[in-house]
Amino acid sequence: MHPQRTTSFTGLDAVLLLVLAGAAGWLAWRVTTVLGYDWDWSFLGRTILRRSEDGSLAPGLLLKGFVATLRLAAWTMLLALAAGVAAGLCRVSRSLFLRLCARTYVETMRNTPPLVLVFLFYFFVGDWIMTALGAQELAYGLSEAWQERLAWIMAPPGRLAAFLSALTTLALYEGAYIAEIVRSGVQSIERGQWEAAYALGLSRWQRMTRVILPQALRRMIPPLAGQFISTIKDSSIVAVISIPELTFEGLELMAATYRTFEIWLTVLGLYLLACLACSLAARRLETRLARRAA
Amino acid sequence: MRHILSTALLALACIALLLCSAPLVQAANLKQELASQSAIEQVLRRGVLRVGMSTFEPWAMKDKDGEFMGYEIDVANRLAQDMGVKLELVHTQWSGIIPALLTGKFDMIIGGMSIRPDRALKVNFSIPYNVTGMSLVAHRQKAQGFSKLQDFDKPGVVIAARTGTSAAQAAQKYLPKATLRLFDSEPQALQELLNGNAHAFVSTAPKPAFEAIAHKDKLFLPFSGTFTSEPNAIAVRKGDPDALNYLDSWIRAVQAEGWFAERYTYWFETRDWANRLP
Repeated sequence: MHPQRTTSFTGLDAVLLLVLAGAAGWLAWRVTTVLGYDWDWSFLGRTILRRSEDGSLAPGLLLKGFVATLRLAAWTMLLALAAGVAAGLCRVSRSLFLRLCARTYVETMRNTPPLVLVFLFYFFVGDWIMTALGAQELAYGLSEAWQERLAWIMAPPGRLAAFLSALTTLALYEGAYIAEIVRSGVQSIERGQWEAAYALGLSRWQRMTRVILPQALRRMIPPLAGQFISTIKDSSIVAVISIPELTFEGLELMAATYRTFEIWLTVLGLYLLACLACSLAARRLETRLARRAA
Repeated sequence: MRHILSTALLALACIALLLCSAPLVQAANLKQELASQSAIEQVLRRGVLRVGMSTFEPWAMKDKDGEFMGYEIDVANRLAQDMGVKLELVHTQWSGIIPALLTGKFDMIIGGMSIRPDRALKVNFSIPYNVTGMSLVAHRQKAQGFSKLQDFDKPGVVIAARTGTSAAQAAQKYLPKATLRLFDSEPQALQELLNGNAHAFVSTAPKPAFEAIAHKDKLFLPFSGTFTSEPNAIAVRKGDPDALNYLDSWIRAVQAEGWFAERYTYWFETRDWANRLP
């Protein structure tokens, strides 16, 4: 590990900050004067937290959308990790059949635009799967209390089919990238490690799980973190099939208030918040793993 | 021998009888099946009416609580109430709303959909319950001196509208020489006009008039009134006569009450609902 260099605030930093602030100010000024946009931030507080009729605090539209985005992203990461690890291990398997299957999956998903995939899935595949599973009827058959719980965990019964279509598409899409991360992680471990484990008399499964994967995992963390951040951002694509997540709620707000710039900027800020939190968490995990290995 | 013969004859008679009655039985089955497959029947069984809609002010928009409100929302609510079922609004992008109906995402479209021949090839329309028309709002500097529809029908004129709407079609039909620029939502189309990148924004009345008032310094109404007249109706899937009949009957009954006209006045001719906006 490199020794941490101490940082200090210098004159150059001050100049840079001034330049950045100036650029932001210039942009705002241009929008106001050239486009003649009259800014109105007064209503935005209400879109995050608002007082409901009975005086209690309730989440506003954008906060609801933000929570929905986080929920969708969490589910997607979970499923994408499962799909990605399975496909990634198949990519380095000794069976040609498994290698071919995994390669086909990865290449199809990686070389198609997610927006088109979301549409295709929602209109054709999703329907067919939902009917086969009977998910919608099942959800409607639940008791009121369970329907509310389902709404918290995933989506209300009526939107369940759309939510699951979106989730499946996103998970398969992100899973393809995770598969490649897993494959490169495993293949980056030196041959000597495999041979040493073999010499100890471990079976192939044991070699993989006890020796190779723990080492590979450390190398996978940075690209995996990047992929998770991408997942949060990519989840905005499903606004096109009206999943009520952050981007969609932003669009809805614009349709009602016509305050385009303020809402987009707020939405941008919320995405930044979520992704930065993800970045910081990944960094801490990296340092912890490095310390454990040291 | 005779025994065998009589049995054979009996069997033949049975088969003949069966063959004759088969079409009748089939027809009865078909009728039952048709009735049970009807969207109305399915809604009653489910206890939930799923209505496809999209956001258009003042047809449907989100209020402070994140609930939908608007003229079409009132219509959908009233329909569900009269059927004695719960209402579930399924928001769908307008450009994909007909495919979504055909693939069974919801039972019907109640979203200010205008009856158009090309749409009627894909879906069945009820009788109209509302009539709307197109109007346009123009940019003060860019469209200076324009005072009638023909003024906008020139090469170099840019018209903004929303994808898949009758507004987009009307612009194409009445302003063929102008350039049409399409957006996925109305605010985006309006923003293009406000930014001075378009000469006019075409939308269903009274939206353009409202916008001209809201942005007095930048926009104006070149001419009053609408340049099209479009009947709005409820759209259902093809091959479902029961649903059509029910909706037609329901519209006639509610129309006779004067309920549609009263709601229309509230949503389109007043701004009493503005305080419910977020």
